[in-house]
Amino acid sequence: MAENGPVGISKKRHIRINNTAILFIILTVLFAISSYVGRPFFFSKLNLIPMINNLSFIGIVAAVLTMVMVTGEIDFSIGGNIGLTACLTALLLEKGLPGWLVVVIALAAGAAMGAFNGMLVTGVGVNSIIATIGTMFIWRGIGYTLTNGESILAMNPVIDFIGRGFIFKVIPFPIVILVIIFVIAYVVMDHSKWGRKIYAVGSNPLASFLSGINVKKIKFISFLLCGITASLGGLVLTSLTAVGMPQHGQGLELLIISAIILGGTALGGGRGSILGTLAGVFILSVLYNFLTIMNIYYFYMQIVQGTVLILVVSAYEIRQLMIKKRV
Amino acid sequence: MEKVTKKYSPIMNFLRTPTPTLIGIYVVMLLLFSLGSENFLTLQNMRGIFNNFAVFGIMAAGITVVMIGGGFDLSVGSAAGLAGIVSSVLLMKGIEIYTPYVFIIAVLIGCLVGLINGLIITKVGINPIITTLGTLAIIRGVCYFWADLNPRVYNLFIQNLGRIYIGGIFPITTLYIIVAFAILALIFKFTRFGRDLFTIGGNETLARLAGIPVDRIKIISYMISGFFAAIAGLLLISQLGSGRPEYGTGAELEVLTIVVLGGVVVGGGRGNLLGVFIALVIIQTISNGMVLIDLPVFLRMVVKGALLVLVIAIDAIRSRRHLQLY
Repeated sequence: MAENGPVGISKKRHIRINNTAILFIILTVLFAISSYVGRPFFFSKLNLIPMINNLSFIGIVAAVLTMVMVTGEIDFSIGGNIGLTACLTALLLEKGLPGWLVVVIALAAGAAMGAFNGMLVTGVGVNSIIATIGTMFIWRGIGYTLTNGESILAMNPVIDFIGRGFIFKVIPFPIVILVIIFVIAYVVMDHSKWGRKIYAVGSNPLASFLSGINVKKIKFISFLLCGITASLGGLVLTSLTAVGMPQHGQGLELLIISAIILGGTALGGGRGSILGTLAGVFILSVLYNFLTIMNIYYFYMQIVQGTVLILVVSAYEIRQLMIKKRV
Repeated sequence: MEKVTKKYSPIMNFLRTPTPTLIGIYVVMLLLFSLGSENFLTLQNMRGIFNNFAVFGIMAAGITVVMIGGGFDLSVGSAAGLAGIVSSVLLMKGIEIYTPYVFIIAVLIGCLVGLINGLIITKVGINPIITTLGTLAIIRGVCYFWADLNPRVYNLFIQNLGRIYIGGIFPITTLYIIVAFAILALIFKFTRFGRDLFTIGGNETLARLAGIPVDRIKIISYMISGFFAAIAGLLLISQLGSGRPEYGTGAELEVLTIVVLGGVVVGGGRGNLLGVFIALVIIQTISNGMVLIDLPVFLRMVVKGALLVLVIAIDAIRSRRHLQLY
């Protein structure tokens, strides 16, 4: 892979920023089209708030998964993690535990799941695709076993607020979480030593190791954080639906990974940006919302999603080729 | 520390795959199952197991070819669904075209899917996981064009395709799998295509520098995978007797598990068909045994995931030649 150059060279950085800018232009155009075509509905409160909630929930998980993907690994188990967290939350609330304690336990469970993935990948040395497909089955299976396949009502003031609360009576709480997570992730990835190390590990693990970076530690912590944010996403979803069921988050891994790849993150690692992921999440959400407003049959949306994914990545590759030719 | 064996020995090579670990676990599970249920070790049950894994087995053959060449194909489940629903629509009353044409069309659909995958992956240069993830969604969406027709398959020839038992015992579908695996094994061993495929999987740059037509061989490997997916789709409509757009959903993960447990390395260059076949039999027997000993439905998912993680983890530890530093 020729594009795995060192990070920090001005030209590379230049390209990355440009890609993100293009994504935001696409988003603006898409937004304009959908608000014009879907005129009366698109800007109504009934459409916007669910869209924002949905988008925040996807974005919360996508931000840290970007970090994992930049290190060159992948986590398919996020969907299973969300399902298990939802079941756990609902069960603990049913037992009568206070809301804040349930949140803490759920996040701790997420951390444990992330740590397990991280240990498999860094400690044992299993390929992360295989390892996380395996743990995906395990998490979801445990969720099903705990609840016996049923959905459990999850009502509690704290849990309700996470997904359906409003700050100053207008701003939905999930988007507040989203903004906080993205700001932290952006600062870490683009303006800290730790972020540089993540890019270095993804570009060339051997060189990073030789220059004294603890590659395993970087990867492990990325997986750990990914587990925590995935279960935070699970909490938001539980709150939005007011129910904990093991099917929560099924197939979500593909949607989230699509959003991240749309944002310009390369599967091999070393390339990608938090802002790009944010744009990817927004684009997919607005696109889905638009298609729903246009009353397009759910299954045909898959065609659109797949086509968009392939087209955008083709555009990246062709651009990369053109740049290479110019040099 | 392990000594490097100078002479190539197929037995040593086999011992280095995860398959021996899998066989070890299998023996334990076999004991558990036969103690847990008297119906497990019966001819009737074994017959069923072998007939049931036809679809996954045929798909596994295709994915093995792609993965040895360093690729990845997640679109097989959707390709099988598309070939299945299109052929069942073609067999509907009022359309009913000549049966061999159905075969030809189904196979053409499969190869076309493979060709598109291969062209995008080699000529545009997109990562195979992303490409096939995209085509997986697109093809599944296309399947739903015929969702309202709900076609049944009354054609006797197609019905028999996946339902005959030779001598009342040996399922004909197992014969297909054995033939397919044998032909592929011969191709791997004795043809230029096979050797080139392994070279590409081992080191693509090297293969390119050695003058191997990398792109062409990769495209052909994806077309082979599409071909097998189409055959699997025909077997699906044969065994289930109807065409539905959701057939084959999620098959890719199931098949991927089998292929990986069979010792095919993600990234390519290593893998053998014997291992894949053994993994296929083992995984399907375990799925069946878990039903017979009445394990709760949901726990089966945990067992399957744990099995994958455990076997691959043991393999990773065993095959570690030197300390892994990064």
